[in-house]
Amino acid sequence: MTEIVKCALLLALFSVPCTRGTRYSPPDKPKLTSCRSPEKETFTCWWQPGHDGGLPTTYALYYLKDNSDTIYECPDYHTAGENSCFFNKNDTSVWVNYNITVVATNALGSNFSDPEDVDVAYIVQPHTPENVTVNVMEDKGWPFLRVSWESPHKADIRSGWITLIYELRVKLEGEEEWEEHHAGQQKMFNIFSIRSGSTYLVQVRCKPDHGFWSEWSSTTYVKVPEYFFRERSLWILVMIFSSFTLIILLWIVHMNSHSLKHCLLPPVPGPKIKGFDQQIFKNGRSDEILSALMVPNFPPTKSSNYEDLLVEYLEVYVSEEQELILEESKDSCLKSDSSTCDSDSGRGSCDSHTLLTDKCGEAKRERRASGEDSGMTIESQKGWEEEALSYTQEDVATPDVSSRRVKTWPSVFSTVPQYTTSPLDQKTSLELSKQHCLSDTLFPPGSSTKEVLGPNYWEFDLSNKQSHLPQPQTHGSQQLQAHSDVNISYTGNKQVPALLQLPGFKSTEYVEVQKVNQEDMVILQPVESDNCGRDEECPHVLQGEDYSKVKGVGSDNLLLLQSGVKARMGDEMEANGVSESCYTSSSFATTQKHIDSMHSATIPGQEEPIRATTGYVDTTTMFTLPMY
Amino acid sequence: MPGLVLPYSVMADAAPICSYGQATCHVPSLADLFDRVIQQSSRMHGISTDLHSEFDHYLPSKNFIGKQRCHTYAILTPDDKEKAQRLGREQLTEVILRLLMAWGDPLSQLHWSMSQDQNQDFNQYRSNKALEISDIVRELKDGVIKVAERMKRLGLNGNFVSYISPENVDPFSAISFYKRGELNSVDHQDLLYCFRRDSHKVKTYLRILKCSTFPTLDC
Repeated sequence: MTEIVKCALLLALFSVPCTRGTRYSPPDKPKLTSCRSPEKETFTCWWQPGHDGGLPTTYALYYLKDNSDTIYECPDYHTAGENSCFFNKNDTSVWVNYNITVVATNALGSNFSDPEDVDVAYIVQPHTPENVTVNVMEDKGWPFLRVSWESPHKADIRSGWITLIYELRVKLEGEEEWEEHHAGQQKMFNIFSIRSGSTYLVQVRCKPDHGFWSEWSSTTYVKVPEYFFRERSLWILVMIFSSFTLIILLWIVHMNSHSLKHCLLPPVPGPKIKGFDQQIFKNGRSDEILSALMVPNFPPTKSSNYEDLLVEYLEVYVSEEQELILEESKDSCLKSDSSTCDSDSGRGSCDSHTLLTDKCGEAKRERRASGEDSGMTIESQKGWEEEALSYTQEDVATPDVSSRRVKTWPSVFSTVPQYTTSPLDQKTSLELSKQHCLSDTLFPPGSSTKEVLGPNYWEFDLSNKQSHLPQPQTHGSQQLQAHSDVNISYTGNKQVPALLQLPGFKSTEYVEVQKVNQEDMVILQPVESDNCGRDEECPHVLQGEDYSKVKGVGSDNLLLLQSGVKARMGDEMEANGVSESCYTSSSFATTQKHIDSMHSATIPGQEEPIRATTGYVDTTTMFTLPMY
Repeated sequence: MPGLVLPYSVMADAAPICSYGQATCHVPSLADLFDRVIQQSSRMHGISTDLHSEFDHYLPSKNFIGKQRCHTYAILTPDDKEKAQRLGREQLTEVILRLLMAWGDPLSQLHWSMSQDQNQDFNQYRSNKALEISDIVRELKDGVIKVAERMKRLGLNGNFVSYISPENVDPFSAISFYKRGELNSVDHQDLLYCFRRDSHKVKTYLRILKCSTFPTLDC
């Protein structure tokens, strides 16, 4: 072959005239790029031509088959395109070594490529698999892709001449990464890891067991529809569960609806005023409102029947026996400390304990401060003193004082023998108490009315107002305010102060307790008496009424009343002693509760006034013996 | 029968495997046998390709123009699909067996020669591979014989005769084709080149044989 080529070259060299000026040269060496067989029955070789040297160049391919020296030229330059050589079946021998050379020839010369050894058995590169189909299938509710394809039609699989193995790749639309799967020799493959509602791209390629991979097949698109089979069952489960929970919750709420309502929407306490028409507020007329707020016939005037006001009077009559009780009860103010306030009692009964204790001391102070304001008789003074002493002997600051006072009521009225000389402070307390007594017994003719509370009342302030101690006494008249906790303020009658300085009063004055207002003020109203004696301070006595006599003071601040005491105490009471007329109002206040319980003593202003059926009980004193 | 020389292994394998009739004994079907031999031939070809490729990296290929390269050139093998199909089962089987038998000893020699060569560092790997190949070739040969006999029993291979021409049995003649005396690495490459080709032939022929015997779509 080389000889032929050399001859050709020489001929070409000689035949081609030498040209100058133009740069012509023999062609460059071509290069055999590749040879490929799609089915191991034919094959094609391609070459790459070099520079043609400026002249038309022809290319030729020559080959040798092993075991022979025969040079063959390419049988087909066209089937496979340009710069190619196609070997058909007849020219193709497998397991035979082809030695191939390409020659580029132009007028100036030719050039040979490097020879290449080619064995068809090893250059098989099949065509792409054909008919790639992808189907979405379902396996127990889960979707999967079934990819199926066919071998390239030229590759003869059936006879076993070629054995192909396949490979496929999948990716989601829009993504970059392919997921490759090796399928072996089968022509079908299942892909399970897919999502519903997505579009997938599938490609397949093949390769003979020893050869080159084919190109990837054209992309097959597959859209996986939304699959709710599995999700449906899940949704059903979720719905059932949630409905059960809801039903249970509703049932719980229903069971506790009442308490829930209470919790979320607490009842708003409305105003509850008995006998009060709320409509008046809605009407918005001020007079009506005011008139509505005002209790009719309150405070009761003299003209009104006091009995309607359900005022009870407490008369304390202390007999000798009761004096003994007093002795016994000298423990102290401490004793009553244990007594607890009634749950249903007003503040008066509770606080009065403490008030009494405070008044123990405060009264003393008052007495001091008052000095000679009080003009009580010696007797009374003495009596008071003794009383005060008896009180002061004990611990003042205990509520027992009140109880003791309660207990000593009788003794106060009986004679006052118990009392010993009192120290100065006691004097003051006595004075104070005396003063209170005086104020108690004063019955203002009842003229000026205070605004709301009406005329003729004593405002008995049970609150602690020690600061007021010195004032009222020094001021005298109009202030009359109780000191420490005892404020007796007479807001009506200005004649009172004069009365206060009365050294003594002989008559038993009665004061009706109107009510105990919020500030622990026992509003007392002097009771009108038919037998109005000397002054206007005649005790108000109901004729024909029964009196309840205080039999004694029981434990727990109970006043034991004895009904059926007739006749006017009046002078008799006075005879008993002025001291008798003095009651510890605070104790009265204290015991009011009990009085109520016993004889239905009432304080006007309470919600359910209880009328006295058996009469009334005279009040003894209105003052307290402040003891410290 | 003249020339009927069967190696001992063939004679020993003539008896069925499950002659004692054991219950757990599984008698492989012809299709199973075919699959087995095809699998082995594929493996054999794979190893030969690996070995040959190693040599190619380190040694330039030779141009064997005008020279008979392989010692099995005398064995006429179909170089075409049509030719192979025209050959028929029996002849095809024979060709396979010839090829396999022809390569038994040269491969042993190759292995021995490679193990002896201590100059190369990677010789151990190659030596092991050569040993593996020789083992496979031997097993494959036995398997093909079994297949042929089964086919014959089944009436598919009526004219099959386990006939081996004497000249191929000579162990020394084959290797002397490549070199007289000891083989060197160049000789190794030539030998492996030839063997690679022949193993490919065997693999292909076996497939054709199977697909012609069991024609399926998926052959």
